[in-house]
Amino acid sequence: MKASRISALVMAIASSLVIAACGSSSSSGGSSSTGSSKTLVGAGSTLIAPLMSQWQPAYDTASGVAVTYGAIGSGGGIEQITARTVDFGASDAPLTPAQFTAAKGVVQVPWALAATVVAYHLTGVPNQLKLTGTVLADIYLGQITMWNAPQIKALNPGVNLPATKITPVYRTDGSGDTYAFTNYLSHVSPTFKSKVGNATQVSFPVGLGGKGNSGVGGVLSTTNGSIAYIAISYVLENKFDYALIQNAAGKYPVPGVPSISAAAAALTSVPANNDVSIVDPPASASGAYPISTFTYAIVPTKSSKATTLKAFLSWAITTGQADGPKLDFAPLPAKVVTADTATIAKIG
Amino acid sequence: MSAAAPSATPPRGTLATVRRNIVDRIGDPSLRVLAGAASVVAVFVILLLAYKVFDGSSSAFSKFGLGFLTSKIWNPVTNQFGAASFIYGTLVSSAIAMLFAGPLSIAIALYLTELAPRRVRRPVATLVDLLAAIPSVIIGLWGILVMAPFMVNQLEPALHSVLGWIPLFGGSPSPFGLLPAALVLTIMAVPIVSAITREVFETVPSDLKEAAYALGATRWEMTRMVILPIARPGIVGASILGLGRALGEAIAVTQVIGGAVSIHASLFQPADTLASRIASQFQSASGTVYISSLFYLAAILLVISLIVNIGARLIVRRGIPAKVMN
Repeated sequence: MKASRISALVMAIASSLVIAACGSSSSSGGSSSTGSSKTLVGAGSTLIAPLMSQWQPAYDTASGVAVTYGAIGSGGGIEQITARTVDFGASDAPLTPAQFTAAKGVVQVPWALAATVVAYHLTGVPNQLKLTGTVLADIYLGQITMWNAPQIKALNPGVNLPATKITPVYRTDGSGDTYAFTNYLSHVSPTFKSKVGNATQVSFPVGLGGKGNSGVGGVLSTTNGSIAYIAISYVLENKFDYALIQNAAGKYPVPGVPSISAAAAALTSVPANNDVSIVDPPASASGAYPISTFTYAIVPTKSSKATTLKAFLSWAITTGQADGPKLDFAPLPAKVVTADTATIAKIG
Repeated sequence: MSAAAPSATPPRGTLATVRRNIVDRIGDPSLRVLAGAASVVAVFVILLLAYKVFDGSSSAFSKFGLGFLTSKIWNPVTNQFGAASFIYGTLVSSAIAMLFAGPLSIAIALYLTELAPRRVRRPVATLVDLLAAIPSVIIGLWGILVMAPFMVNQLEPALHSVLGWIPLFGGSPSPFGLLPAALVLTIMAVPIVSAITREVFETVPSDLKEAAYALGATRWEMTRMVILPIARPGIVGASILGLGRALGEAIAVTQVIGGAVSIHASLFQPADTLASRIASQFQSASGTVYISSLFYLAAILLVISLIVNIGARLIVRRGIPAKVMN
């Protein structure tokens, strides 16, 4: 009896030691990743992931630094860098003031530029239907529900629009595309701004949700009458029909690297915290695609790997940009590169 | 034994005996310690997990209180969260899944234990079991690519035209929603429920069955009056295990339920479950209240699963002695 009680006690202590050991080893794992200067560990945004997988081997050959990246989602990236378990985080949305405070001493560096495209599946209707921001907002607010609504007909004279119900499709997981899309709709529609708002995860009053690009793509390909916002590379790769969105100049530019660059060129100044928004650019940029978005690296100003980190960021915003266009990322505009360089200089 | 050993056997033998004695002496306690430690670790993990979940939900709990359970707002922009629509989605999708999976599994088990030719039994049983081995993400993909078009083009319009006057089948057909989710859950629950039910049916004493036949019972009467009553607690237990699977399934449901925060009477409309919401939003959630609210959902799911499991235990325990008496 006594012996069994003692052994039970021993077991309890032993197992708690094991658990404590696990806990300490996981935290030391995090610090060891920041110990060596030949590796960088990052996590966050899924939007940047395809570009990052181009960067990793290229940067390894160029400088001998191995970059490990986990595409765990923007929110996760912010959490990880706040806890300093990674060397850099990546987020599709700029940090909120509260997130800046919580992360204690980080800067954000816009390091890639992509677009969100409005794709649709509507049998018997050609590619490149024309839509405006307000019509899109009304569709996602549930106020325009049929494809043959007068608002859509007026924009597309000569197109025989069927009396099919519109099924708006959205991302249920957090996404830079949701951020860009709701940022744009909040710009063009005050009603949308007050009812839904702008974030990587929002609550749409109508429609169907899918998880990830593939989830949304799945709904789109199986549902006649559906409309969805998806990353440009995914739309072009899967040859979905996509809408042309009217810009402030009244033009309907085809989404692609040239029209995204045109939007970026219209940027007048970069704010001190690098929170750059180029949705709905002014009418002076007549060839600008209106739903483009920056994605950000979130970097601590003080870390043991500051030098390695600075070198990688400087490479990414210059040499690294050349890998972008084949993945439908547009090169960063000069103003942003200048602002980034100033920000990177503050690290260390 | 050891007293006789030194004189009869050479020194080497003595050494072996001593070694065996040491092994015997150490082996028993160390087995006990190792096995005990393993179970202590398992218990510890469960407790730690529950603690983590409830601890994580504390800031959402202090902000929303129990009103969280009845609020159906889920808005990350304004930081307003509530679980009502997910609780509804979880309970309804799982209930429908069990409504389908229960009878289907009993029928499969009956066929395989009583009706099928002996040659057919093993292959069919193996195939049904294999259904459980399909990763849920694959079933979800099948749901998106095959079931969803079928739902929106054939099944739901047909249901709607015949039963449209019932609110459950009202509203316009949609490829993703509660009904598709329930069907996916049915597919996932059937192998579990049928496998256990089959085992239970096989334990029904054959002399009782033969006695029923001897009294002139038909096969159906024998099934109804002998097999089903004896197996009832087992069937309930099996169903509860299936229900547990349905309540907690996340990925496949996420793929076909449509991820909407809403409570509709119609089963065609998109909805969401507790597990699916956690799976789809946890990795990209940011902000204390948001993450804490997802933990709160996990805590609710944990409590629901606990209630279901305890309920099952009570039913099974109460069921068995009565039947053994008979």
